[in-house]
Amino acid sequence: MRATVKGRVAVFHPQGFLDGNNAPSFLTLEDIKATEALNIDMLLVSLKKVIFFNRNGLDVFIRLLLSIRNQKHIAVGLCDYDSTKYKAINTFYGENLNFSLFRSEKIAELFTPTNKSDSKTVLLYNEDPSQRSAMAIELFDYGHNPIIAQSRKEFDEKKQNPDLYYAIIEETYLGLFGQKIATRVTGNAIIYTISNFLDNEIGSTFNISYHNNSLNVGFRLFIFDAYKVVSMNVHALNFFTKLASSAAEYNATICFVGLTFEKTPESFKNDLEDAGMLFYDNMDDILKNKELLHELGGSAAAASKHTRTLNKALVNELPHFIDATVSTIAMMTNAQATKESMNVQTLEIKNSENQFASSIGFYGDIDGMIILIFPKDIAKKACELLIGETTEDEEAILDSLAEFVNIIGGRAKALLAEKKHRVDITLPRTYANVDALMEMAQNKKGVQVNLSFEGSRFVFFLTR
Amino acid sequence: MVTKEEISSYIESIPPPPLIVQRTLEFVRNGDLIRAAKCAEEEPALKLYLKILVNRPIYGFRNEVQDVSQIFGILGLSTAQQILYNYLLTLLAPKKWKLFTLNNPKFYDLQASLSRKWEKILRHLNLLTHDHESAISLLPASIIVCDALFGDHKQEVEQLRSVKALDYNTILFRLSKQTLFDICGLIAQKWEMSPTISRIVHAASGQDQAITPEEELLAKWMHLLLFYELSQSIYVEAGLNEFIEFQIEFVQDIYESFMQVVGAE
Repeated sequence: MRATVKGRVAVFHPQGFLDGNNAPSFLTLEDIKATEALNIDMLLVSLKKVIFFNRNGLDVFIRLLLSIRNQKHIAVGLCDYDSTKYKAINTFYGENLNFSLFRSEKIAELFTPTNKSDSKTVLLYNEDPSQRSAMAIELFDYGHNPIIAQSRKEFDEKKQNPDLYYAIIEETYLGLFGQKIATRVTGNAIIYTISNFLDNEIGSTFNISYHNNSLNVGFRLFIFDAYKVVSMNVHALNFFTKLASSAAEYNATICFVGLTFEKTPESFKNDLEDAGMLFYDNMDDILKNKELLHELGGSAAAASKHTRTLNKALVNELPHFIDATVSTIAMMTNAQATKESMNVQTLEIKNSENQFASSIGFYGDIDGMIILIFPKDIAKKACELLIGETTEDEEAILDSLAEFVNIIGGRAKALLAEKKHRVDITLPRTYANVDALMEMAQNKKGVQVNLSFEGSRFVFFLTR
Repeated sequence: MVTKEEISSYIESIPPPPLIVQRTLEFVRNGDLIRAAKCAEEEPALKLYLKILVNRPIYGFRNEVQDVSQIFGILGLSTAQQILYNYLLTLLAPKKWKLFTLNNPKFYDLQASLSRKWEKILRHLNLLTHDHESAISLLPASIIVCDALFGDHKQEVEQLRSVKALDYNTILFRLSKQTLFDICGLIAQKWEMSPTISRIVHAASGQDQAITPEEELLAKWMHLLLFYELSQSIYVEAGLNEFIEFQIEFVQDIYESFMQVVGAE
């Protein structure tokens, strides 16, 4: 059984009965290897479709989860259960519960970084005050707005108005959480929350692949929320210096907010400034100052002064990328997309209204970005297989479009692997408004392929 | 991916029941087991199938049963009809399974195990009739159809499922507006099975609305029985656990009784 990956969360979905006899059969050696190779922040087992489970059955999955957590420092746990199952899990593991429990996948996703900048208001309750606080801190660090009920009575009262909340979090437990630095997106800036004493551990708790992904898909402003940092040592200093150097290659800016130098040597500040880091006292000094935000690259997804040019290695692989796109569309719709024209140019879109766009970056032996721009109707048609029903819900269509681009990215990766090119793909990004994409891509030269699908045109653009 | 044309061509390729099986079935339906056995003797493949099936450990006979009339005598009318349908289904089974890691002996074991447990369930529910008993024979047709339609699209399905947990039945419906169970219904029609059989198996998908309370009850037990079987290690390894969506809410109210009847084995 393979895990399904949405964003940076991978989930196993076993069905039926789960006991010590059959559970090992769900995970072959190949499945385990494939899971280990995933680039994710959270790995879960969904119990939604499991009618019976016992401790031995769960243990098989838990062993895999814990081993992957030890290797990758990611969050792991179980999700999608009802109250009866929650009680059973607590009975089985009691005090030794060292993985997380999320009542639903939707709740679990709140505790992971995404490419989206919308803050969600959630109602939160846990009988254990320390769990309550831990969850609230994590949610806040991931950019959400947790409303914490201090008592069961208060929670029950607040629960009467479910429409006020994106999610109601109960019967949820964070086990060994906070192993990764929390990440959130605000507008076009990415904020990392760091705390306590920073040492060489930051190398494993900072999600470098997410950071690289973000650079690749066009983010140019990165802020370290360092209010809770007590001090740092020379290893952490080296880490930040290297990070600043790699950011410079993309013309990106890295800032520290709220960092004090009472216990950190003042010389570190000079070293970091020399590497290109900026320091601010308050987050609002940046986020509420539009002029400064623009200057730092956080006003739109990187209207970068520094554009990276197309190279031969990338152009050589163009047929693979087009192939991956056309075959994915054929797979999802049973209809053929045909190539109309192909030019090396900057991205040009006629009639940007009523279009959706999505992009996915890749990096490794070769690097670049695929951008797709669809008329909304065609986007809906292309995603029908994933959505399953006719919907006008823009968020659902954009989410499916992200999954769609993810399949294209996966196919391109597989095709390149056949030619011994190893690449990783970034999180996909979607745009409800093509103008936002144009701000990021306007100066980029790439290969624009105009394709025709069921009488409408859509655009494939490959760039760096 | 699977197209409507591929589905039509698959349905067209389903052979009609061999003449001898048709005649044997007719004798069984008329309650004449002696003539049914004589007729079955004429078809060596059927004779061999019956012998192998009845001598499987799940039937629990100490001595090997050889004679077809003896086999039919042991089985009785209802089970004889069910087993003849099981045989028909084996004619549809692929020589080489492409999608699922199955082989025909494993598939026959699944048929036998489902049949035995289904009989027990029908006795418990006091709903043992010829058609009810035979209904279980058609259920594994959904597995055969799934393998036939998706066998050449395995990689595409894997890519699709890497981003969304979709079962084969849902994928097929979204692509063609037909489910695996609709296609089973067409097979039943082609083989002139009773419409009751077809309706029960269709409802066992857990997604039918307009069914009688009795059919709903049978469908719930059949759905849970299917997932009970598909949760066995051998079928999990074969990839069968993911072929349709388990409708947990549909069967929740019969779970306790089911475990008492089937789980106590």
